[in-house]
Amino acid sequence: MKIQSLFIIATTLLLTSCAWFPSVKEPPYQLVKTWGGKGEATGQFNEPTGVAVSKSEVFVSDSRNGRIQVFDFDGNFQRVSDGGQLGRPMNLTVANDELYVADYFNDVIQIYTLQGQFLHAIGKPGAGPGELNAPGGVAVAKNGDLFVADFYNQRVQQLDANGAFIRQWGTPGETGVWAGEFNYPTDVALSNDGALYVTDGYNDRVQSFSPNGDFSHKWGGPLAMNIFGSFNGWFATVTGITIGPQGNVFVADFYNDRVQKFRPDGEFLNTFGLPTQGPTHTAIAVAVADDGTVFVADYANHHIQKWRPGE
Amino acid sequence: MKKSMLLTVISLFWSATLFAAGTQYNLRVDGLACPFCAYGIEKKLINTEGVESVMFDLENGLVIVKAKEGVTLTESMLKQLINDAGFTLRSMSEQPL
Repeated sequence: MKIQSLFIIATTLLLTSCAWFPSVKEPPYQLVKTWGGKGEATGQFNEPTGVAVSKSEVFVSDSRNGRIQVFDFDGNFQRVSDGGQLGRPMNLTVANDELYVADYFNDVIQIYTLQGQFLHAIGKPGAGPGELNAPGGVAVAKNGDLFVADFYNQRVQQLDANGAFIRQWGTPGETGVWAGEFNYPTDVALSNDGALYVTDGYNDRVQSFSPNGDFSHKWGGPLAMNIFGSFNGWFATVTGITIGPQGNVFVADFYNDRVQKFRPDGEFLNTFGLPTQGPTHTAIAVAVADDGTVFVADYANHHIQKWRPGE
Repeated sequence: MKKSMLLTVISLFWSATLFAAGTQYNLRVDGLACPFCAYGIEKKLINTEGVESVMFDLENGLVIVKAKEGVTLTESMLKQLINDAGFTLRSMSEQPL
């Protein structure tokens, strides 16, 4: 009886540890190149905090310079957005041939053409329905609805294309570690089937919600309850998220200086980032092109990193 | 007499320069984890009258505030602003620029 109990405990511990310490399941990603450097000139950055891709171009939130810069996939400078409208641009999204910018300082989502022409802004400062307090990221549904990581309001809002409030997850002024609660949400992403993924910044986890809005699942360390760490599948302040062409989820794991890749159900697949001796803040945002190329905003070095999947 | 006048002029010039250069406040803040929270603090501080610039040292949890000439930022004021941004001011020091 005693041996049987011990066996059950040991098996449980083994299974649990396998789930909490997963191994890499793919060939390693290769760093192709980096570009940028600190400065105000075109092609340079001062604290890049967001990145997005279209079919052929890379859009970068050049945060402290208050502008969006555009490059081809090889890092050649193409153009700069109209900088007059932007406060502190954060995570970006390209959708429906438009660029959506979470403007942290102005408490709005700014919408531009891909050529850089300002179209309009959605939201205004506040904590009421449709109001924003330091938006960190935005995702756009096929019907034009916006999903906004409303950072200081501790919620994600769904707004229609005109900015009218539809629904929210989380509650302004309340943080929490339970399912559906947030601790400074930083970014959001939508899968092709309409599932919502949220980087729950200081809870060190990702939360997922089904298209009907119900909580689906969460991951990041044991029980995904604000237990941070540097093991595979664990996080230390998550700051950006995107969905790859195969539907996999890429997460910028800021304090671990890496991007982690997961299946939609949260199963760990891969990890990559610059070698580091400690937190150097080299991965704050991530975007994935249709061919699988990954672009990472490197906050500390004021660079964009370009990575290719291993063969 | 000439010498003392010269000294007076020099000391006036020196103090005026010092006064014109403003003050730097080094704030040690608990929980300063990433640019999202750092920018939240900056957003609060930059709208404060007399604040010229706000920079960060994430490694050391430091917020570096430069105030314009003649502007004094009190500890209680800064504590409140940091608190409003959702963080805690652990300690502060100041130095003339």
